[in-house]
Amino acid sequence: MAKIGLEVHVQLNTATKLFCGCRNEPNPKPNVNVCPTCLGLPGSKPRINEKAIELGYRIAFITNSKISHKMFFSRKSYFYPDMSKNFQITQYEIPLAIGGYFDVEVKGKRKRVRLIRVHLEEDPARLVHVGGGITTAKYVLADYNRSGVPLCEIVTEPDFKTAEEVVAFMKKLLSYLQHIQVFDVKKGKWRADVNVSVPGGNRSEIKNVGSIKDMEKSIRFEIMRQTHLVKFGKKVDMETRTFDSETGKTYTLRSKEEEIDYGYIFEPDLTSFEMSKDYFKKLDDSLPELPEEIEKRFRKDYGLNHEQASILTYADPALAGFFEKCAKTYNDHKKLANWLIVEVLGFLNSVNKEFYETSMPLRKKQFIKFLELMDSGKMTGRIGKELIGKFIASEDNPEKLLEKEGFSVIKDELKVRRIVKETVSEFPKAVSDYKSGKEKAVHFIVGAVLKKTRLQVDPETVKKMVVEEID
Amino acid sequence: MVKQHLQKMGKGLVKPETFFKKVRKEIVQKNKRLNIFISIPKKFDVKTKGKLGGLPVSVKDCVCTKGLQSTAGSKILEGYVPPFDATVVKRIKKEGGVIIGKTAQDEFGFGTFSTNCAYGTPKNPIDPSRSAGGSSGGSAVAVASLSFPHISIAESTGGSISCPASFCGVYGITPTYGLVSRYGLIDYSNSLDKIGVMGKNAWDCALGLSVIAGKDGLDQTCVGETKNYTTFKRVKDKVVGVPKEYFSSAVSESVQKNVWDAIKFFESEGATIKKVSLPNTHLALPAYYIIAMTESSTNLAKLCGMRYGLSLPIEGSFNEYFSKVRTKGFGEEAKRRILLGTYMRMKGYRNKYYLKAMKIRTLVINDFKKAFKTCDVLAAPTMPFIAPKFSEIRKLTPTQVYAADVLTVAPNLAGIPMMNVPCGTHKGMPIGLHLMADHFQEEKILGFAGVKAWRR
Amino acid sequence: MIDVKKVAGVARLNLTKAETKKFSKEVKDILKMFSELDKVNVSGVEPSFHVIKTFNVVREDRVEKSLTNKEALANTEHKEKGFFKGPKSV
Repeated sequence: MAKIGLEVHVQLNTATKLFCGCRNEPNPKPNVNVCPTCLGLPGSKPRINEKAIELGYRIAFITNSKISHKMFFSRKSYFYPDMSKNFQITQYEIPLAIGGYFDVEVKGKRKRVRLIRVHLEEDPARLVHVGGGITTAKYVLADYNRSGVPLCEIVTEPDFKTAEEVVAFMKKLLSYLQHIQVFDVKKGKWRADVNVSVPGGNRSEIKNVGSIKDMEKSIRFEIMRQTHLVKFGKKVDMETRTFDSETGKTYTLRSKEEEIDYGYIFEPDLTSFEMSKDYFKKLDDSLPELPEEIEKRFRKDYGLNHEQASILTYADPALAGFFEKCAKTYNDHKKLANWLIVEVLGFLNSVNKEFYETSMPLRKKQFIKFLELMDSGKMTGRIGKELIGKFIASEDNPEKLLEKEGFSVIKDELKVRRIVKETVSEFPKAVSDYKSGKEKAVHFIVGAVLKKTRLQVDPETVKKMVVEEID
Repeated sequence: MVKQHLQKMGKGLVKPETFFKKVRKEIVQKNKRLNIFISIPKKFDVKTKGKLGGLPVSVKDCVCTKGLQSTAGSKILEGYVPPFDATVVKRIKKEGGVIIGKTAQDEFGFGTFSTNCAYGTPKNPIDPSRSAGGSSGGSAVAVASLSFPHISIAESTGGSISCPASFCGVYGITPTYGLVSRYGLIDYSNSLDKIGVMGKNAWDCALGLSVIAGKDGLDQTCVGETKNYTTFKRVKDKVVGVPKEYFSSAVSESVQKNVWDAIKFFESEGATIKKVSLPNTHLALPAYYIIAMTESSTNLAKLCGMRYGLSLPIEGSFNEYFSKVRTKGFGEEAKRRILLGTYMRMKGYRNKYYLKAMKIRTLVINDFKKAFKTCDVLAAPTMPFIAPKFSEIRKLTPTQVYAADVLTVAPNLAGIPMMNVPCGTHKGMPIGLHLMADHFQEEKILGFAGVKAWRR
Repeated sequence: MIDVKKVAGVARLNLTKAETKKFSKEVKDILKMFSELDKVNVSGVEPSFHVIKTFNVVREDRVEKSLTNKEALANTEHKEKGFFKGPKSV
């Protein structure tokens, strides 16, 4: 059985970088969120961000880790073209927290993943490799917008056995991190170093894997590669590798024999930290609600079933909040949940968009109006299902949309009766079938009426009218 | 001189343009002979208002000045023009100080004689065949040789203000670690570096300190208070401790005699003399160098030909490129310290050197704390000898050069404030008295330093 | 025993054979001076990473002015399209 361990680096959701006041925000223009500190200019000094420390501790809380009340920062020295100082300010001897765990569900079974440590460190610059890939480029271009962005590193024990377990862990972890607002999926990035070994071989590390799909593919490939080598009596080297998503394969970056000695020293430009009990109490009190609590509440307070509660909690970071906001003024909670889960998410799935990416999270009033139009009969359920996509994509309020699309329910009863009369006369065979007892024959006529009225009438009403007309 | 100059400037009795024209003429001329400055700004930003209104101020080259080259005495930073002022420079400019140039120094602070300056060695103005001391040699020469009112902003890690002040016969105050912001200081050793002031008398130094000292949000280790240091308290009834370890046979007789004369003068002014012992003094030298080298080897890692300073055509892998630039840009002493500093924090050696030295530092601090329970200040010689000749320095091994710091490293390691007071001469060359006090007790030192006009 | 050649590699310094020899001798001497500390018993002594113990100095998470792209690139000739140019990473 394979052994897999992870080192996950998550960009924290702060306004500014870890050691300077530059914006913590991606920008397509290179080197605009930069200053002497994150550029590593001689004479500059680091100034640690209090919010980053707070967010780091939040992660420690939700991973059941042992919090260090005392901590300090260290310099980890190594040379690389993306380093602003050729040392990274990180936590070595005393990290934020150690020895936690995170439970996930894999194929219906609970799995506990043990964590080694949680600590803070700074992100290096972003490199663009010119004239090739990492190994074949002619030179690099460096963008320091990313240099100094706060990272939280979460290190697991090698408790994973399969790629499925890793995928389940990452999905749940990222969802939790979004829920407690330490990670903002709209602007923050994460990446992981994946350590893989199989019995009979050495461990190799796949560096900087940036998506769950890539983690899955790279793990599968690596297990296969290593198993294959062991099977044929060949040596599995201890090395650092990189994953190419295009080829789906991992490649050697450097051998572990050239292991770097980081020469750690205490970071003398920062003070030590000793947080009080009061600080941790305030932190605990201000912790956003955990997903499990939300799920429980959705079942209890809104009468939703397990599946509904689960989807609303986990399927998208903005969904739970949106549901709850609507549920305060819209009382048919089951209908609300159903429309969100089946129609809204269904549509978004078909166009490959996430709920949080649309303007929907801000359109509570309009969405409630949309539902109310159906409740009052101004819009049929079928038209609702037709229009939901357009409703999501446009910024229109539902009444305007209904009118624009020409789908307003025809209120004029006389007009409808006229169409029914006209249609009945077009289907003499259906009429005679109905008269001879085939009740279902009336559906042909109803269907034709609906087509003519472009669904702007309620099918039940039409059926009644058709029957009345025939009789 | 400074006091009167400021008064005249304030009253409009000095024409700033005429005055600074003369300043420029003199510094350009003296620079040719004495190698004081690495850079002189093309134009002086002349002001007349403020606590330092219209006062010429020179700045050691490791302190960043916006728009003006700052090299820390090294070729690897040739052409580096910081886009920001160090906090101390900002404060000086705000109070009307006029930056007249960047003074020469040992590369990154690595040295005791300023012979490791990549831009020429500053010369002792009293005898140019002798060293001006280091690493703030240029600043000391500026104070000692320039005829106009002026102060110099210098920096000390292991004695780099006290030593040149002693050799050139000027005053130099090294404040408590953390009193003055290090923002904008090109680092030598972050837990040891302090920015201070050199001047022709105690009042000038005190004035400079009053302007630059105090909390700065840009340096998270800067915790001091801003206050006025120019009012000196009397020394009557204060206790002067004399540590026996500082008067060993390693210190020349003439130095010891002159320093004792000064201490006896304090006694005549009403102070009490007390003999004390700082038993861990001999451990300060190795502990200091271990900490200084390990920290500085990390600070120097950023110098690799990317983003600023010396660079070469971009070719080959980063390892090849970085190595080429660093080999070309660093002087011999810098390379030696990088090698040692890197080694002493590597796995297997880190406990023996780096961590051990940090613990020894605690012992050295405790020695001082104990002495200051019963003494207001400590008095000792600043340097074991007068300024040596360059011909003598060339014969010294690195270990012998390090040993010259033996009297300044302990207070620097402990981060306590200290001041050099020129108290006599031997063979025409100045001898320095070193006054030390507990953390944040600069006023006590200034009281003693200002007790008379010591300088001839 | 310090392997000067190895350490030079770690520190990204190219040394000639003569330099390696010279530095090896000097460094050996200096380390001998440092070994004065070996005899000292420091059990129970806390390290002083800072001379005065200071705690919990932090900065508020508030945006401050950044340099312009031009200012950032002003100190080097190695630049391209607003990026810093550097040697390849492998």
